[in-house]
Amino acid sequence: MLVACDFHNHSCLSPCGSLEQSPAVLARLARERGLELVALTDHNSALNAPAFAECARGEGIQALFGMEATSAEEVHVLCLFSELRAALDFSEFIAGHLPRLPYDPARLGDQVVVDAQENVLDLPDTYLCAALDLGFDRLCEAAAVRGALVIPAHIDRPMFGAISQLGFLPDGPFSAVEAVRPLSASAARGFTVITGSDAHYPEHIARRPFGLELPEGWNSGIHVDLEIIRQALQAGRVRLPFGS
Amino acid sequence: MKLSDLSALFGFEAVFPAEGTTAIVDAYTSDLLSDVMAKAAEGSVLITIQAHKNTIAVASLIGIRAIVICNERAVPDDMVAAAKDEAIAIYRTTKTQFEVSGLLYRELRG
Repeated sequence: MLVACDFHNHSCLSPCGSLEQSPAVLARLARERGLELVALTDHNSALNAPAFAECARGEGIQALFGMEATSAEEVHVLCLFSELRAALDFSEFIAGHLPRLPYDPARLGDQVVVDAQENVLDLPDTYLCAALDLGFDRLCEAAAVRGALVIPAHIDRPMFGAISQLGFLPDGPFSAVEAVRPLSASAARGFTVITGSDAHYPEHIARRPFGLELPEGWNSGIHVDLEIIRQALQAGRVRLPFGS
Repeated sequence: MKLSDLSALFGFEAVFPAEGTTAIVDAYTSDLLSDVMAKAAEGSVLITIQAHKNTIAVASLIGIRAIVICNERAVPDDMVAAAKDEAIAIYRTTKTQFEVSGLLYRELRG
């Protein structure tokens, strides 16, 4: 069955994300707009994943948890888990690699950890969009060894994508690569291409979903079976809103 | 050295000139914004090819007065709009970062 997916969404935790985009709003609008499997991928942190897990359950959609990590070369990489605990452990590991850069919320945006009812739990004062002290290869390996789906983000964008930052897409433990426009097979180096909304504002949610062909029962467990997702991605069972 | 010298002395194209008499005390050459955030000094010129509005946000945070976009890179409208809001000058040149760094080094330290 073709499942409507979107693996790239921010919440009010990301400084560039709208304050209106709580996990509750993300889950609700995702459901209203027809998404079935949705990932929350804030910059370098999964602190809003617990709220998103609760809200997604409440909305009857399936969730993945993780982040959009920033390598030292400023390449963005989606790192996705199906279990909350694994995502939070990885988030803690990443926090240890985040430099403490000067952070002015008035200039760079607010970073807000909330619960499912939108109560503020914390306001991290370390800039979450900073580059980690992990190079791209080490970052991808660290995520993969922890069982994450590793998906280089928007590789075709003029900034923060593997191709703009490194000149090309290196080999790596990728389940897929994300593009925002039709991408040539040579640029994708044989990896399955998906897309994503990179939603920072409510109007962005579900603007660029993709279809993933999954077997019946993919969503019948307590949480999504990540291996089923991984296999479907690697086998290329993907339908894009634009051509290949 | 002052801001307006960037076009008066070196002939860089003034995309958004800002306040011309602002003093320039240093320059920093980098294309990684996280590196600029960590290392660039207030009152600097940033020499880069990163022509996008995130560069303005970082410049504003650090107190960078002007950005010189090298290699004739196109400056998008939203970057100019952000520069106007923050009163940060944007200059553009066909010269490489090496050449621009050399010119500013000579002027500031030579």
